Parts: sequence; structure tokens; C-alpha cells
Amino acid sequence: MNLQEYIGKPTGAGTVHVERGSVSRFAHAVTDANPVYHDLRAAQAAGFDAPPAPPTWTFSSGFLGTWPEDQPADPTGGEGSPMMKIMRELMKNGGLVLHGEQEFRYHQLVQCGAVLHWQGKITDIYTKESKGKVMTFIVMENVFRNQAGEPVVTEIFNLIHRGK
Amino acid sequence: MSKITPKLKYEAISAGDEAPVVSHQLTRTDLVRYAGASGDFNPMHTDEVAAKEAGLPSVFGHGMFSMGLLGRAVTDWAGVGNLKVYGVRFTKQTWPGETLSTRIVVSGKEETAEGRIIIAELALLNQNGEVKLSGTTRVLAA
Repeated sequence: MNLQEYIGKPTGAGTVHVERGSVSRFAHAVTDANPVYHDLRAAQAAGFDAPPAPPTWTFSSGFLGTWPEDQPADPTGGEGSPMMKIMRELMKNGGLVLHGEQEFRYHQLVQCGAVLHWQGKITDIYTKESKGKVMTFIVMENVFRNQAGEPVVTEIFNLIHRGK
Repeated sequence: MSKITPKLKYEAISAGDEAPVVSHQLTRTDLVRYAGASGDFNPMHTDEVAAKEAGLPSVFGHGMFSMGLLGRAVTDWAGVGNLKVYGVRFTKQTWPGETLSTRIVVSGKEETAEGRIIIAELALLNQNGEVKLSGTTRVLAA
């Protein structure tokens, strides 16, 4: 498998709705009882238009905020993320898949009521040897944009396959 | 339009300053609640039987739960809505029963086109000082 040919390939795209129920439950799940996430009055008193989403919320937004009726065309043409294909191929010889690094860059606030459009792609793939094992790093980026097309959040993350 | 006032005062912050520590003892209920709220139902986090069959001592925590917990400590300190960059490296698994504590230490500050920024180094550690996550953040200050 020539891994380099996957660099730049889309991993997916979607439209997500930032909704109060999921934001509040997610905030509780990361132990955050700050009332700005749960109570509109507290959010507005703090200067928000609506309750904001906690840090890292967008990472789960595909699960939390996807409505089937307004999804964009699948940029992978129905094949699914090439990351999955690469990992399946590598796992044929065993090993382990690890989430190595995760970064969020916030360009604007994420607040309830927003509808965001995300697009993901593979930005880099490389291998390293560590303690005699081959580590394959797949670096990906998801960019979330608002209705005006402005970037709101950029997620940069990697998954690592550690060979047996 | 939202108007968020940064909580931190740029002039009053210097390298070496530390944010208040958030500590949390991890429970299996935390793992189940995070699975339900995030959609990550990997059985290694929620199914003790499956985790033991896979050779693990027990279920272990979601890395993204740890990131959420550390993120809460960052926003408690800098104020919600002031986060510009938040990045971590996952270094060790977390286990039920461990007490996880945050460490946020200011490493620098700079005035940029997007505002006055405080930079801090981050870590989440267990009760023995083992680092579970390490990372960096950039937050807005007034």
C-alpha cells in the first residue's frame, strides 16, 4: 500500500446542529457544572447569545448533532474515510490503534443554535520506528465552518497504528 | 452578538503562574456517562467483561474524557469563550479509582492580531504523579 497517495484525500463531510440538550449533557459528562452550559440566563449574563459548547464538543458533534435530511454529498463517494481503509489494512498483521494527539483551534465561539458544516481530510502520513515496532501516523484535520463559510473550529489530530 | 470579557488580566499574569487545580476521582459511572454523551461506545471503556477478556485489568477511561476534564480546568481559569487553542498528547491510559488532577502553568504571553494571549503548559496527572495527558493552550486575556 502506497500510503503517500492518501495525503490530501477527504475523510468525510457533514452538517451538525449545536443543540442545548447535547451541549448540557456533554458538559455534565466532562464534570462541568458551569451554568453557562445549562441555563440560557447564565449564558446571556456572561455575554453569550446562547449556551456555548464546551471545549472538545465538536469532536463528538457528528454523533450528537447530525440530522440526515441536511447532509452534504459524501466526498468519499460512499467508500468511507480512507483512514479506516488504511487501518484495516495495517491491522491485518495485528497491532494496536492509538489516538496520539488532539488539538482544537477556535476561530469563533460555538454556541447553541448554530449550524456548522465540517470537512475532513488526511494532511499527513508518516512512519517511525520505536523499540523495534513500526508506528504509522495518520494526521487528519476537520474544519467546521458557519453558514457564511467562515472557519469556526479546526480540529487537528492523529491516529497511530503500532505494529506488533 | 456575543460579547465575552476575558477573565484573565494580561498585565497581572506572568510565566510560572499556576491555575487552580481541578481534581476528580475517576469512576466507572464517569466512563458510561461519557460514552453516552459523546457516542464513543468502545467496549474497552464500558464493558468490564470484554475488557478483561482482552487482557486488561479493567475498563479504562476515554482519552477524550481526560481532555474534557482538563479543558474544564482551563475554562474555569480563563473563562468560557476565551479558548483559542487547546492541544494535548495522550500519554497513558486512565483507570477507575485513580484521582486525576490538572496542572496548568503559564509559559508566556504575547500581543497578537487576535488579541492578548496567555500561553500555558498543561498536564493531567494521577495521584502518583504519572502524566496521562500533556499539552498546551492559548487563551485570551483582557
